[in-house]
Amino acid sequence: MIKTEELDPNFKYEIASMPGGERIKYCFNCTGCTVSCPVNEIDREFNPRKILRQSLLGMRKEVLSSELIWLCSSCYACYEHCPQDVRITEIMGALRTIAEKEAHRGNIAVPCDKRKFDSAFTGSIKKHGRVYEAMTIAGFIFRTKGIGGMLAYTPMGLAMLRKGKLPLLPHGIKGKKQVKAIFEMMHR
Amino acid sequence: MKFSYYPGCTLHGSASEYDISTRAVCRALGIELVEIEDWNCCGALEGSSNKALSTALSARNIVIASKTSLQLVMPCSICSHNLARADVSIREDSRLRQSVEQALGTSYTGVRMKHLLDVMVNEFGLENLKGRVTRPLTGIKAAPYYGCLLVRPSKICRFDNPKNPVTMDNLIRALGADSPQFRHKVKCCGGSLLMGKEDIAHNLSLNILSEAKAAGADCLVAACPMCHTMLDGQQGMIEKHHDVKLDMPVVYFTQLIGIALGLGEKELGLDRNMVSASRLLDSICKKQQDEKMQEKREKQDTGNTDGDMGHPGGHAGGMGK
Repeated sequence: MIKTEELDPNFKYEIASMPGGERIKYCFNCTGCTVSCPVNEIDREFNPRKILRQSLLGMRKEVLSSELIWLCSSCYACYEHCPQDVRITEIMGALRTIAEKEAHRGNIAVPCDKRKFDSAFTGSIKKHGRVYEAMTIAGFIFRTKGIGGMLAYTPMGLAMLRKGKLPLLPHGIKGKKQVKAIFEMMHR
Repeated sequence: MKFSYYPGCTLHGSASEYDISTRAVCRALGIELVEIEDWNCCGALEGSSNKALSTALSARNIVIASKTSLQLVMPCSICSHNLARADVSIREDSRLRQSVEQALGTSYTGVRMKHLLDVMVNEFGLENLKGRVTRPLTGIKAAPYYGCLLVRPSKICRFDNPKNPVTMDNLIRALGADSPQFRHKVKCCGGSLLMGKEDIAHNLSLNILSEAKAAGADCLVAACPMCHTMLDGQQGMIEKHHDVKLDMPVVYFTQLIGIALGLGEKELGLDRNMVSASRLLDSICKKQQDEKMQEKREKQDTGNTDGDMGHPGGHAGGMGK
């Protein structure tokens, strides 16, 4: 049941003010996004049309604290399919960015591994200028899947090491300071 | 031909065979690549949700590349998507441009940029490439896998049809191989979900691998390190979790070109692929030998009808005595 007094009528404007979120109000809920979505084929819970409808209605907290906005694989199939040029993939990004900020402020909890990985990945870029694959992936697997997860990935990790595909040290760049400045300006 | 080169993080790590084969093939074709200085990560898909951040990270690389007069080439579909997306966004959105310029501490200047596949097919050209083939891949079925970001969104990457691209199909045929009807050529591999939602990612990749098998492919051809990680690197895990046998070699298009140019296995980093490509290489050799034998036989047959030589079987019999 949707309780109208709990809706936030400004949510759609908030989304539209984000880079990538500008075109959300053009959506007329035709379901083209959902039928073209490969993730929806595997997991029916992920329904981009529903996320757009909820966002337009102002179901702010429900949308932002849901794991579902993190299930978009950024394949741009819906973006290409959409008759209203809503640019849904970009809207999903805008929603994640707002959710990230709200979670950072402690206003919502997002229990989602994909979010944790994205944040570890961007953290690695911020630190080194390039992503440090070995540490980002190993650290994430250890934190989310524990020793069992590490063991399951060990044969693959060793094979990659043997083949020279997993440098053990990070590639730091000279322009680290500039990259850090980019994060400080843009990652607010 | 000379280009600026932006390899991206994975080509210096988990996709080193893509970097190795790119450099080897370009060297063999006389295409000079100059790696841009001190480049940074484009943000990949993990950073792309925050469009402002992703745009600024990509813009730093574009500004570095713009210091030369060269066109910028990128083998990674994610990098090339992010840099092109940043360039379009900065041109369209003056507010974004302003904040990017502020973050970079310099004014933004764009650069002409292309995916490596686009360069190979449309700049170097298939006719040129055909002329350089020394080991035609006759009899091999190679399924072209474009994935997502190479062709979508079409507003950003305009080089092929987003629903039914043919660039890689044409490349495969130019190398002498067959490109079978492959329905999943632009279906998502789920790569960006691997670390958070492994089951969804594995299911999406399994669909692609199974479809390639059903199409009778000897190998899949990829143009993106993340797709390759899913289809090649994760194939063993997928087989284990879904209790299936796939055994489908997945090569980068640069590796396929290199094989046809007669370059060696190590030179193309084929020993670094997780699913062994040796069966594919063996069948290329075998089909080539078969063809040579066939040619020889045909020549001999023509000889016979001219009546110059006796039956080859006769000679063999004579030697046995």
